[in-house]
Amino acid sequence: MTEAPSPARQALEAALREEGDRLYGLALRVTRNPDMAADAVHDGFAAAIEKIDDFRGDSALSTWLYRIVFRKAIDLLRKRSREEPLSDEDAEAGRPDEAPGRGSAWSRPPDEILFDRESTEALEQALSTPPAVQRAAFELREVEQRPTDEVAEILNLPPATVRVYLHRARLKLRAALGPHFREAASS
Amino acid sequence: MKCNELLQRFAEYADGALPDDLCTEIARHLERCPPCADLERDLKDLQRMCREQPRPCLPDEARRRIEQLLKDRCR
Repeated sequence: MTEAPSPARQALEAALREEGDRLYGLALRVTRNPDMAADAVHDGFAAAIEKIDDFRGDSALSTWLYRIVFRKAIDLLRKRSREEPLSDEDAEAGRPDEAPGRGSAWSRPPDEILFDRESTEALEQALSTPPAVQRAAFELREVEQRPTDEVAEILNLPPATVRVYLHRARLKLRAALGPHFREAASS
Repeated sequence: MKCNELLQRFAEYADGALPDDLCTEIARHLERCPPCADLERDLKDLQRMCREQPRPCLPDEARRRIEQLLKDRCR
């Protein structure tokens, strides 16, 4: 007779079904590399299997998994290259934020630019410009719409820091995309 | 409120983390300051565009690899 899967295995299988794509989305946003992102999710589940007995349920299983996969993605990124230090936010700490009036507003309505292939590519390109932790904060809060407190838990940062990183990422994206959309509008 | 003050508060404002009186002050500023209003509108548009983009899917091969891992190592 086949032994029934343990509750831990059932929980992780359910998490893979329900959160697998989103975990991959986070890893892809951090690593910007599909193979590395898939490895980060795989390694994250491998680590979760090892540590599942230590999981006390203080947070949701999915939050715990996001945290593990985020760390794996960062580890893989570090292994691949030393070009992107995680402390890049620190280097920006004393830098003033972008002035609100820099550049005019985008001139095309979002509906019009949304499904334009060139615009999609420009958006993806722009999304890869902020540092890794800002990209992760943006993906989790802005795209996945997870609560700031949960994002803070996943990234192991205070909520106020998450808000600052998120704001910087938004301003970087606006600055990166502004010329593209203004150019497109005037052509 | 000045533009720089608004910018410093904008992250909390966008996150709904400010008290009502400050939100009112920011809303008033946005009504009479076109550059700040542009910023707010651009960031909202950006948020919407990002949310409406197609989402990536975990590749089938990677999913199968993890399923096998769970079968082999998590009994």
